Amino acid sequence: MRDLHANLKTRHALGPFEPRRANLGFVTVPAERLRGLLTELRDVHGFTHLVLLTAVDWMEDGLFQLTYLMNDRAGDRTLGVRVMLNRDEAVGEDMHDLWPTAATYQRELKEMFGIDFPGSPRVDEEFILEGWTDLPPYRRDFDSLAYSQQTYAERPGRVTHDPRAHMKSKLYPEG
Amino acid sequence: MSLREVLTPFTAWKHVLDAPVTIPDPIGREAAERYRGFHQNDMETCIGCGTCEAICQNGAIDMVPVEGQVTEKGDSGLRPMIDYGRCCWCALCVDVCMTGSLTMSNEYTWVDTDPDAFRFIPGLEEPWKDKEAGYRREGGRELSGTKRSHMGELAPALRGDNFSEICAGFTREEAILEADRCVECGLCVATCPAHMSIPDYIAAVRDQDYDRGLQLLYETNPFSEVCGRICTHKCETSCAALHEGDPIAIRWLKRHIIDNVPMERRLELVGGAKPANGHRVAIVGAGPGGLTAAYDLAREGCAVTVFEALAAPGGMMRYGIPEYRLPYDALDRDVAVIQAMGVEIRCNMRVGRDIALDDLKRDHDAVILAIGLQMGRGTRIPGSEGPGVEKAVDLLRRITAGEDVPVPERVVVIGGGNVAFDIARSMARLQKATHGTVGVTLTALEDRAHFLADAEELIEGAEEGVEIIDKRGPQEVMRDASGAVTGLRSWAVTSIFDDQGRFAPAYDQADERVHEGAMVIEAIGQMADVSLLGAELTEALDWNRGRIAIDAGFRTSEPWLFAVGDAVKGPDVINAVADGHRVAQSVMERVSLQEGIS
Repeated sequence: MRDLHANLKTRHALGPFEPRRANLGFVTVPAERLRGLLTELRDVHGFTHLVLLTAVDWMEDGLFQLTYLMNDRAGDRTLGVRVMLNRDEAVGEDMHDLWPTAATYQRELKEMFGIDFPGSPRVDEEFILEGWTDLPPYRRDFDSLAYSQQTYAERPGRVTHDPRAHMKSKLYPEG
Repeated sequence: MSLREVLTPFTAWKHVLDAPVTIPDPIGREAAERYRGFHQNDMETCIGCGTCEAICQNGAIDMVPVEGQVTEKGDSGLRPMIDYGRCCWCALCVDVCMTGSLTMSNEYTWVDTDPDAFRFIPGLEEPWKDKEAGYRREGGRELSGTKRSHMGELAPALRGDNFSEICAGFTREEAILEADRCVECGLCVATCPAHMSIPDYIAAVRDQDYDRGLQLLYETNPFSEVCGRICTHKCETSCAALHEGDPIAIRWLKRHIIDNVPMERRLELVGGAKPANGHRVAIVGAGPGGLTAAYDLAREGCAVTVFEALAAPGGMMRYGIPEYRLPYDALDRDVAVIQAMGVEIRCNMRVGRDIALDDLKRDHDAVILAIGLQMGRGTRIPGSEGPGVEKAVDLLRRITAGEDVPVPERVVVIGGGNVAFDIARSMARLQKATHGTVGVTLTALEDRAHFLADAEELIEGAEEGVEIIDKRGPQEVMRDASGAVTGLRSWAVTSIFDDQGRFAPAYDQADERVHEGAMVIEAIGQMADVSLLGAELTEALDWNRGRIAIDAGFRTSEPWLFAVGDAVKGPDVINAVADGHRVAQSVMERVSLQEGIS
């Protein structure tokens, strides 16, 4: 894997190699170099299988991280290719022409994170959320609790107690 | 629509008397070993901190009182009730649980005709209560962190011959990390005698809002410089975090807030006193109890004068606690805020010598005695009378006052409490500075595990070269022909208390040792010097086991006289602060009542 990284590093402006196991590692690539890297990995180095495409919301840094997990079945090795996107105008490059399944992941990322992939088939159609009107729910600024409280009715008769106030009432009511 | 379509639904009525085809458990298949099914809660391990409720993203959990669960130190007595109409079995509640009491069985079928049955308290009677299979968080608690943040300390080699402060206090980065570990359950608040708003001021550290933090501190405690350093911090023994890791460093976070607000800003934030109300209050003793009462009363608009026998205010905070634990300038900053409220502190004014208690009574609406425990108790063992035997509190006072104290090369300390360590470690520093070596032996009745001193005193004392010998009972101060002290003869302790739990040390006389030393220091307790009361008032007052008797409002049996602090209650600064507030309230009630009459 280190040999592969050394081989690709300069041509694709790769970041440092981050090994996890002997046959698993990660690398970050600038967004404009992504397509070239993925194509070479697929066509030249045996990484024919896109295992998954997923995202992480680095809200504090203003970035979304996409991870393309690529597998070389014959060589039994997996490489995670990361690309960082600007969170404010989150647009990723459509890769469905390389792997048709990418379209499904991209549609999911559009719905759950609001990351757009222009040109990806059906990317604007609802994926699993029906009639969703709020922030994309995997964005970290989506307030799950507030959404649940606004959306779902509370069963009548519920009452809760704050531990600190309850202890005061029981142990030192006079203050 | 045809007639057939209209009538077909009614054909179902022919089955109305058939046996139902639905059955309670249609599948009967065991779920996977780690399936996240219905909740379980070990009621004895649960402390009712409510962290499960706080993290639940569905608002499915209520904290409710449960019969048989008692509200006590470190346990709110509340237990989680879960609404399965809202739960999504994400298991965040299990992952965050501070004690590991909350788990999930792999049970996943439950049939009931009553919808309210699905709001339930796990840990009572549910059939899956004791089921082993299911989801438990693996390893330790991770979401809130188990390790206390680092804080800089002066290394033993750098502190052995000086009184420089040992603890550096948290940096901002360290403090934020530590504050981040707090789950804001508030179980600690009941344990703090002053009921400080601990979770709120920790949140202020996390938010980096030191102004808000300081205001929260001053709501309940005008001695945060002091308590941020030397509080007995019993709050930390009720911390939810201690069940699986280090308790939150509440004391150091308090200090961190006060370290980060400059003096001028403190005064702005605390604000001024109310307009003068014409009432005059005298306070005898400028320790934490007296000065807290002074602070409250001055803020209410009373003219408060504090009479202090010694040269500077602070009481035991200044003259008892060594400077390496509490630097004088830190104490001075707390006192300065109190003085800024208009409190007049008259030092070198010993009541009974420089001014009569009767004069105070005559010139004030109320008098508060806050005289502390200034006299050391003696062992009364043979040889303990005479030169070469000192009381710890006297020596500590003289060291603070800058007086020359004798520093022999070898010293023996009797006692295993914090005062014993304060004097042992102070003498060790003086020896190191004077002779270049440390020769302090500390002997205590207790075994190491039961020393009354804080655990860190034993560690730090040993680091500084103090020889700590446990389970020794003092028998005689040895003197040579000239009468000079040569050491302490002790016997091994076999037990400290008798069958009834009374203090009655028993010894193994065959195990006798002589601990060499030219000075023996007694640090076995203190008592109040009540001579200032005079014979008449002493006779008139009610007493309780040698202490002035007080009620819950710190009123003595004389309506004009109140008493607070170690002399009547104790045992530490934060209790004195809490009681200072209460006595101030009682005094305000009295003066308001007088106002109503006049």
